[in-house]
Amino acid sequence: MIRIQDLRKRYGKMEALKGLTLEIEKGTVFGFVGPNGAGKSTTMSILATLLEPTSGKAYVGGYEVTERPKEVRKLIGYMPDFFGVYDNLTAEEYLDFYGANYDIPLAERKQIIPQLLELVNLTHKRDAYVDSLSRGMKQRLGLARCLVHNPEVLILDEPASGLDPRARIELREILKELRDMGKTIIISSHILPELAEMCDVIGIVEEGNLVAFGRVDEIYTKMQEKKLLRIRLLDRIEETMEHLRQQPTIAGVTQEGNWIAVGFTGDDQQQVELFRDLAVSGYPVAAFNEDQGDLEEIFLEITKGVGS
Amino acid sequence: MNILRRLNNPVLFNEWKMRMRSGRSPWMIFSYLLILGGITLFYIFLETDGGTYYNPNDTRELFMMLSILQLGMIVFVVPGLTSGAISGERERQTLSILLTTNVSATRLILGKWLSSLSFMTFLVFATIPLYAIVFLYGGISPVQVVKVFGFYLITMFGIGSIGVLLSTLIKRTGISTVVTYAIVFGYSIGTMVLAEIIREFIRYQRRMGNLPSSTNSDWTDIIYSLNPLFAILHIFEEGPTNNVGLRYGTWFPAIDPFWYYVIFFGMVTVVCLLLAIYAIHPVRPRLFRAARKEK
Repeated sequence: MIRIQDLRKRYGKMEALKGLTLEIEKGTVFGFVGPNGAGKSTTMSILATLLEPTSGKAYVGGYEVTERPKEVRKLIGYMPDFFGVYDNLTAEEYLDFYGANYDIPLAERKQIIPQLLELVNLTHKRDAYVDSLSRGMKQRLGLARCLVHNPEVLILDEPASGLDPRARIELREILKELRDMGKTIIISSHILPELAEMCDVIGIVEEGNLVAFGRVDEIYTKMQEKKLLRIRLLDRIEETMEHLRQQPTIAGVTQEGNWIAVGFTGDDQQQVELFRDLAVSGYPVAAFNEDQGDLEEIFLEITKGVGS
Repeated sequence: MNILRRLNNPVLFNEWKMRMRSGRSPWMIFSYLLILGGITLFYIFLETDGGTYYNPNDTRELFMMLSILQLGMIVFVVPGLTSGAISGERERQTLSILLTTNVSATRLILGKWLSSLSFMTFLVFATIPLYAIVFLYGGISPVQVVKVFGFYLITMFGIGSIGVLLSTLIKRTGISTVVTYAIVFGYSIGTMVLAEIIREFIRYQRRMGNLPSSTNSDWTDIIYSLNPLFAILHIFEEGPTNNVGLRYGTWFPAIDPFWYYVIFFGMVTVVCLLLAIYAIHPVRPRLFRAARKEK
């Protein structure tokens, strides 16, 4: 459904995308993960026909986005990371306006809009002015707006950002429904566990490069091969960090007060050796913990500096 | 049918709906009528010396005054209405969403342009009761009235299209508004000054004997006829504008300068709107894309 080939985007001297290549099959929920500035929004803007790539190709439903933008727009529903609403319109009028923009006949719009409002749990806010809605409600209304022309592909750029936990859960439930409807969804976030729950495939992007791509379980297994170790030191922290960086089994080292967080790629035996090495070398290790299951932190450790 | 479908512009209808719902619109209408009505009634008060007798022969002057005042209001209000048409959408973060819908760049620009102008047209037509004061006393030809309103319309089209173009090119509404006002006032004063300089230069050269007295000054008349103030004065057969081409028999078509104004502002409108339509495309169509590919 979506094919990206060697996509590059340059803003002056800054290269936002450095030859991104990926393919997303029809009906897949694809999670685009990466830190801010990694190139997620740039890729999504290109797919939404809003940005021209410096080089490379991007296809949606077989149409190249810069050559056949009109056809692409019919296929996609795009929700940017930040979007505004028209203050003087009610929720129903807001959807009606976008329905008219997609040339949907009035009679058809009258049928679709109540269904969409029901899908996003906003039926009770049908006559409420859009500016009176909470951020979570606006986000859901935005999602309904994306669906007004029944697109095959949904491009959702950080839809959960700025939402409280309850609104996030509500949004997740709606996305699950959309997945069941067979939509191809691209959803970006910098919160990996949140995406992992609802995505089939995940792509991790860092500084314009795709550093990991595959099914969620595969990525999880791959990531869990790398542990996060925490070491508490009494002093000589800088010296210890320098020593650790020279070890082949260490992926990254960061300081958090008296603690050092270490991305460790070795097995249990190598972990024992690392502990012994620190003790024998005379570093004042007060505690040595293995952090399990915090995927977010492991993800951050893994992606740290990969693109540079 | 096709034209009707094209007129069915959701952007235009939505703008109408939202504009009339905003609290600003009634205040704008009220202020507009208050200023124009107040000045007109004050003028009548001065003419009658506060008495009860009004000389119907003064109607022409009153009509002229009202028309020029209205022109001044149009020149003042239209840039403000149009210079935020696209940049306002951008600032509100709704433009990118609109650009991913089926709405073509042409429909979007025309919708925004027409909605701003229709509000101005609404303001102008709301002043018709004021003109009724003039019509009460008679003395004005209906052709002049039609010409004046046609003049307003084409002036609004021209200035409005400049506002929409700048609003498309400049990201910030504040800057776009300032630049639009600068261009509109620069043009209004610039054409006046330029025409005066050329006229004085030709006179000087004639006095010095460098030019024969039959040398045509059609360029001066053309420039005068493109100036909004002199162009409206010409409708009342006032001001420095002469009928171009009649006196000197040059290659300029001998038509009423009013039509030169209409043609020029018509061209400005078309060019500005076409440029705005081209500029609003997020991925601009490359004119030579196909040719380049063939190579």
